[in-house]
Amino acid sequence: MSLLSIESVTKEYDGIRALERVSLKVEKRSIKGLIGPNGAGKSTLFHLISGVEKPDSGKIYFKEREITSMPSHEISALGMGRTFQTLQIWGNMTVVENVMAGMNRRLKGGLFSYGLWLPWIRRSEREALKEAKEILNSLGLLGKWESMASQLPYGKQKLLELGRALAMKPELLLLDEPASGLTFTEMRQLSEKILLIRQEGVTVFIVEHHMGMVMEIADEIAVLHNGELIAEGTPEAVRRHPQVIEAYLKGKGADA
Amino acid sequence: MVETKKSEFRKRDLLYLVPLWFLSLIAPDPYLYHKKGFKKKDLFYLGAICLAPLIWSDQHFHHLMVLAGIYAILSLGLSLFMGYAGQISLGHAAFFGIGAYTTAILTIQYALPTFVAFWASSVSAAVIAYLIGRPILKLKGYFLALATLGFGEIFQVIIRESTDLTGGVIGIFGIPWFSLMGFSFDTYLKQYYLAWGVLIGLFIFSKNLVRSKVGRALSAVAASEDAASSVGINVPRIKLEIFVLGAAFAGLAGSLFACFMSIANPEAFSLGLTVLIVMMVILGGMGNLYGPIAGAILLTWLMDILSKYQEYSLPIYSVILILLLLFFPDGIGTRLNVRIIYLIGYWAKKKKRDEGKL
Repeated sequence: MSLLSIESVTKEYDGIRALERVSLKVEKRSIKGLIGPNGAGKSTLFHLISGVEKPDSGKIYFKEREITSMPSHEISALGMGRTFQTLQIWGNMTVVENVMAGMNRRLKGGLFSYGLWLPWIRRSEREALKEAKEILNSLGLLGKWESMASQLPYGKQKLLELGRALAMKPELLLLDEPASGLTFTEMRQLSEKILLIRQEGVTVFIVEHHMGMVMEIADEIAVLHNGELIAEGTPEAVRRHPQVIEAYLKGKGADA
Repeated sequence: MVETKKSEFRKRDLLYLVPLWFLSLIAPDPYLYHKKGFKKKDLFYLGAICLAPLIWSDQHFHHLMVLAGIYAILSLGLSLFMGYAGQISLGHAAFFGIGAYTTAILTIQYALPTFVAFWASSVSAAVIAYLIGRPILKLKGYFLALATLGFGEIFQVIIRESTDLTGGVIGIFGIPWFSLMGFSFDTYLKQYYLAWGVLIGLFIFSKNLVRSKVGRALSAVAASEDAASSVGINVPRIKLEIFVLGAAFAGLAGSLFACFMSIANPEAFSLGLTVLIVMMVILGGMGNLYGPIAGAILLTWLMDILSKYQEYSLPIYSVILILLLLFFPDGIGTRLNVRIIYLIGYWAKKKKRDEGKL
């Protein structure tokens, strides 16, 4: 069975269909792209997968467990990391603390063992710091590890958000428009990084507006239009798909 | 964070540098978040706390500092909930009251030793906080503030009306001194060391929380709950945990208060006290554990000074608070430190610049 499978999911907002019986599968160790014009329901689908919202009907399975009605922190704890379309880093913490907070679930121990600073807490905290620095190093953010996250430039904050998601050692990484607002070089770095992440055995599911980038790195692409899945397949096949061309020309042609 | 507007360096700033440098040695540094462990400064504070009542050995000062210590325990718990987790609670005085009444009832009606009542107070405050917190912590922002405010008022009414148990409006008198294995804390000096000893213990506990996984989770919840749950932080649970912990602190403080003042009456735990604690947390500086203690000392002292001008005390008090909030919106500790760090940073860079390194 595939890592993530969505089975005929429907979602309505005040009578407006955001998603109409969408079924999707994401295979292990693949990079799957999800594209579509504005308002196609891409972000809605992501919210449903990560548990921020619940579908009206349909089922979602992750690692062969039904996660349709699980609260979002439990879904994350199963091994699903995500980044947000609108940047959601924690500006009140330092860069390294942001990444360490991403490891929160993996660090064991409750309130009292931390308050009393039991011997093994010291060790696990030190190891967490070391690991966080390694993650920052791989993202090229190590030079800024002590500064406040809110003081980083936008592109670096996006990378930091990715780093935070990686810190929880996810099996599936949901990236919601990772390239939006990035410069061309930053986008190249990001693509390389995503390919590297996949090599380490992480499955990546990207929602992206920027077709060029997804076409380049994705193994398979799904296209949403008006809440319906209109095409699915390899990047080449999707690019030639008549309905996709029509949707993109009708919608925002500039995106393609 | 450092003030960038006044980047021009004035010679007379040098004059401030000497006292500020000295202050910077002892004042906590709120912006160096990565160095949250214990430092040499903490030893200095510890020494100051131990020696202060011996140097100023007057009864009035001791009494004030006992009160300040109790308030500091209260505001320490609240600052974890408000300053770190970013939630609002206006019902904190109720937990203080629960602690005080638990001690009063257990020691007088059941004749239990104060030491047992001390821990029982903490537990009872925590249990009630858990029962209250489970439903109302789902609320956010002002709604949470209102719900906790309502809880505080309901507590007042219950205390006033259940005369058999709590003595109603008059309260309970004659609570015995706090005693431990035959040693009775019957002077202000002994009480000072007990209150501040408890405070130091709780401070170390809180500091350990804040500098580790728990502190990061709290800051994460304060900044963005969506992002926090996206990395697997159980947001409702950590909020509840810290709410209960703050209540347990308040219960301990209430128990000490009841033992030291030997009275528990509803007046002492009214909305006025809640406002006072919240002011301590805000004035001292949010998101910083030294702040609430500084705020507690400052406000206790301020109230004492103003009590001499009985009829004018309230207007003067409010004017001072407004001025403080106008000029130190992030809390006194924080703003002072920003200035110090800015000046020292400038000074260090100026040297380098002169040497041609920058």
